[in-house]
Amino acid sequence: MVRHGIARTLTVLSALTASIALSPMAMADGKFDGVTLRIATWGGSNKAAIEQSIVPKFEALGGKIEFVTGSPQANFAKLIAARGRAPFDVMEILDAQLPDFAQTDYLAKIDLSKVPNTKYLESWSYNEMGMASWLTQETICYNTEKYAELGLPAPTTYRDLVTPELKGRISIPDITSGGGLANFAAISIAAGGDLKNVKPGIDLIQDMNVLKFWSRGGETVTQFQTGDIYAAVVHAGWCVRAKNAGSPVQTVHPVIKDDIVGVQKYGRLGIMKSSKNYDAALWYVNEFVGIDNQFTLATQTGVFPTNKEVVAKLGSDPVLKQMLELDPAKLGKQLRIDYSQVNISDWVDQWTRAIVTN
Amino acid sequence: MTVRWDLLLIPSFLFTFILLSVSQTLFLEGSFYKDLGLGRTGDTLDLVNYVRVFTDGFYLTTLWITVKVSALATICTLVFSFPVAYVIARMRSSWGMILLSGIVVSTFITIVIKVFGIIIIFSADGWLNQFLMSTGITTEPYSIIGTQEGVVIGLMYFTLGFGVLTLYSVVQTIPTSLEEAAEIHGASRPRMFRRVILPLAMPGLVAGGLMVFNMCMGAFTSAALLGGGKVFTLPVLIQRTIMMEVKYSMAGTLAAVLLVAVILINVLSIILIRRMHFARGVLA
Repeated sequence: MVRHGIARTLTVLSALTASIALSPMAMADGKFDGVTLRIATWGGSNKAAIEQSIVPKFEALGGKIEFVTGSPQANFAKLIAARGRAPFDVMEILDAQLPDFAQTDYLAKIDLSKVPNTKYLESWSYNEMGMASWLTQETICYNTEKYAELGLPAPTTYRDLVTPELKGRISIPDITSGGGLANFAAISIAAGGDLKNVKPGIDLIQDMNVLKFWSRGGETVTQFQTGDIYAAVVHAGWCVRAKNAGSPVQTVHPVIKDDIVGVQKYGRLGIMKSSKNYDAALWYVNEFVGIDNQFTLATQTGVFPTNKEVVAKLGSDPVLKQMLELDPAKLGKQLRIDYSQVNISDWVDQWTRAIVTN
Repeated sequence: MTVRWDLLLIPSFLFTFILLSVSQTLFLEGSFYKDLGLGRTGDTLDLVNYVRVFTDGFYLTTLWITVKVSALATICTLVFSFPVAYVIARMRSSWGMILLSGIVVSTFITIVIKVFGIIIIFSADGWLNQFLMSTGITTEPYSIIGTQEGVVIGLMYFTLGFGVLTLYSVVQTIPTSLEEAAEIHGASRPRMFRRVILPLAMPGLVAGGLMVFNMCMGAFTSAALLGGGKVFTLPVLIQRTIMMEVKYSMAGTLAAVLLVAVILINVLSIILIRRMHFARGVLA
């Protein structure tokens, strides 16, 4: 009787072991044995989301992911210093950096046939040189309680930040920060300028009486908490994080010009030409734009997904629904900057001379 | 057989020399080539970057601001750290060592944490502003972010512990017997400080002051975090030029200007102090 029981248990265990061994994941086990993939990206919640959605899958395939954390600008500086021999395989690139990358020969061509998740992406958002990994909706994030106390209506555009009640209570991105160029362009256009004439934007910023030009979006989360600022020009993700941290904040997608309401910037994933882990890098890029990671990234950091399937799912998140623009018709009308038309060096020079109070 | 112990110094000397000189030399050399952006430089030796720095009011103003905030921070550091150092040095109980250890430990804390502490203290809802407003001293919150005063406070905070430690060793070299003699002969405490302690501490104060000043001139974090993108010192501008604009030659030029400015100020200060000493000696 006992022997029968043991035999039955062994049979069940054998069957279980066999089924696990033959499962698709285990079949693929070992595909990236011994591969260490280095990803240049931000730290914080961005890295945490990737660690949650991608890293375990890669480790199940035998590989290991290491992060080279830093802003895309800092990572680009590392790339230049290393003369293209990058200390990483995959890099997050800002849309504003694409003209710089076009002048270099640092990126490998992406074999699009090995990135099946491109079927979820808009055609504009990828090509052989990069894969749009996220979008941000650049907004005015404001403290609803302070606005009510001051009797101020919710802002609709940047000029609404020019009011005595908000003197020294505004934070906007420094031009060298991640969102700096996109927001500077938007402010300039909203003020009556254009990509060739940013003087109206500089004048408007000078009228704003800004407390701080932030270099990391996280600074605004702290400043909302400490009561230093009542409004910030910042992407919706930071407003989400400020709300999650307990600040009573809300986003406004600023009116830019005519029917253009709201601003977008986007990031791309590029594979380094110097990478010795091309296949693993391709796998990572594919996973990054997949449904799982895009949803995790959006819900945890407040960035907007490039994956169309995920966009449809975001309406179920009450905070994101409140903070992000999800209407496809309106999304199509948001401002996206064509940096090939921009003399970035000239913008930075004009900004530095005008904004710095030295 | 004579053992040449001095040969053992060669590896450490070479290591230090290479570490300190090679990276700096690369940047200094690069500063003499035209900056073409994206880390690229021209092929021929050129002074165009230096000409730009010395003819452009923006760079000269930035240099002036750097010197000004560093000098103010140095004065504040010396003023605040000397009494602390004096009291600790003259303590006879074990409290002196405990306080000194506390200051040493405080220097281990990263400057980022220290600066964020200041930002929180001076925040609009922070206790300091609440106190100032509730007592009617101010009508609205005072913020140090984005102001030169804020940068001075940040630099002072950065160097205060170092200042106390340096001046502690200076005060310890002044024999207490001299103070006692002055006291016996009827000197008041202020007079004793002016005529006995200060002259004897002066060389140490100058040396400590120059060290603090040099630290302030090269300090980045305090200036960047408290400057709020509105106040630029040269280290902030160098970081921006190299990390954000990837202009290596221009950054090298700014670094060279900073280095030369620091050396010149140090040399001129020493010459000035020596002349003052000499003049005082002649007059005496």
